Amino acid sequence: MNSLADEIRGYIVTEFLDGEDTADLTADFDLIDNGVVDSLGVVRVVAHLSRTYAIPADDIPLTPDSFRSIGAISAFVENATKAAA
Amino acid sequence: MSSTPPAPRTAGIEPDPYTLTAPWADELNQDVEEWDARAEFPWEKWKVIQRSGLLAVPFETRYGGSGGTLTGTMRALEGLGRTCRDAGLGFSASTQIVSVGVPLQAFGSEELKSRFLPGIVTGDLITAHAITEPGNGSDALNISTTATRDGDDYVIDGGKLFITNAPIADLLLLYVRTGKPGPFGLSVFLVERDTPGLRVGEPLGKMGLRTSPISEVTFESMRVPATRRIGQEGAGFLILDHVMKREILFSFSLTLGEMEHRLERVIGYAKSRQQFGAPIGAFQGVSHKIADMKIAVETARKWLADTGAKVEAGQDAAIDIAATKIVVSEANKRTALDAVQIFGGQGYLTATGIERDVRNAIGGTIYSGTSEIQRNRIASLLGL
Ligand SMILES: Cc1cc2nc3c(=O)[nH]c(=O)nc-3n(C[C@H](O)[C@H](O)[C@H](O)COP(=O)(O)OP(=O)(O)OC[C@H]3O[C@@H](n4cnc5c(N)ncnc54)[C@H](O)[C@@H]3O)c2cc1C
Repeated sequence: MNSLADEIRGYIVTEFLDGEDTADLTADFDLIDNGVVDSLGVVRVVAHLSRTYAIPADDIPLTPDSFRSIGAISAFVENATKAAA
Repeated sequence: MSSTPPAPRTAGIEPDPYTLTAPWADELNQDVEEWDARAEFPWEKWKVIQRSGLLAVPFETRYGGSGGTLTGTMRALEGLGRTCRDAGLGFSASTQIVSVGVPLQAFGSEELKSRFLPGIVTGDLITAHAITEPGNGSDALNISTTATRDGDDYVIDGGKLFITNAPIADLLLLYVRTGKPGPFGLSVFLVERDTPGLRVGEPLGKMGLRTSPISEVTFESMRVPATRRIGQEGAGFLILDHVMKREILFSFSLTLGEMEHRLERVIGYAKSRQQFGAPIGAFQGVSHKIADMKIAVETARKWLADTGAKVEAGQDAAIDIAATKIVVSEANKRTALDAVQIFGGQGYLTATGIERDVRNAIGGTIYSGTSEIQRNRIASLLGL
């Protein structure tokens, strides 16, 4: 994982796994299907991305695939911040 | 107190959207008690709302809208609340703006937007949105109405309850299940009232907001083309989150306007009603209630302005939205009850219109997510 993905991984571990890291948590681990992030969790992830990476919440595409895994989230953040730069 | 309250941080359109409906106060407020008693939707007054331009505020000019901002729309609804004593009509107007128009403009296909938005913006097409089900109210994401893909269509089965505007709606936005439980199991469809398999129930009698019709809606093997989906399959929850933020900001701006009016009325009464040789406002037991009412109105205003600005700027406002909803709805209920007390026996009479305010205010702590659910949300966002 690159540093952005590590950062997002760290956020998921702290916020959704009570700090308990697990080797299963790879870049393509399905956070939704595995019950790590629930509906309110998605709202928290959107809020966190918007705050941490200065992405206006209204610019975050409301597409399920952007939030399924650490890999998907970091790809989305990378694109969004590149587009804004 | 009679001057227009300031418009903090409103980028807005000219003239101040707060004043849009003010010229029609007489028409809007005609025979309000009778309409409330009959619990009928006042169609002639709806035409007045249409003429005022209120329904067009947040929509792009290419669809006939006036291109206003989110905070401009809040301001317009606050003005309606200040002007119009028919809270049911106001609630139906706010539902009209947010239920279909807002998500259609944000997430709909160009084809759906150009076909339906112009009629929504004028108010010729009346709209409703259907989330709640008989078995799933607060547990709103546990939707059991299903949409099953079948070729180029989806087939929808199930039912919804408490759908504001449904008895008069031409268009309904349905939140239905297309996938397994979880945040991406819901999708959104735009359906027309005459779609075979869709049945709208009789209007349900209710405590307040009686001129705003509400009913059950059921779907039996209702076939809807996939092109009627709004947003991606599975994006229903995220669309709902977008809509609920605006629903709360819009409908509780309306409430703020109603509270502004109540405060003015109560001050006027406390100055003019004499007992023991003095105006009742001279008694601390009364004046402190009114001071608290002033604090409640200004607290509501500050929360709404601050949260509206945050949402408009694309900032995280999840806690703010829940807090705003609690602050404004509970202030409305409390100040409505205090107004009855200050008006004494007059406050208890239907003709004074003060008791109607209490009945109307109760709903605000239930719709758009109850006070308990908003507190749960805040607690959860605090990591509890
Ligand atoms: C005037 C009005 C207009 C409406 N318009 C619409 C509309 O246009 N479209 C639509 O889809 N819906 C609409 N609704 C429905 C509304 O959203 C629901 O009534 C609301 O979400 C509550 O659901 P419920 O009535 O099933 O109550 P329930 O969910 O059965 O709740 C009953 C009580 O239990 C409490 N409760 C439930 N779960 C919890 C919990 N976990 N923790 C603490 N307390 C809890 C609730 O707060 C409430 O006090 C409207 C409702 C009203 C009153």
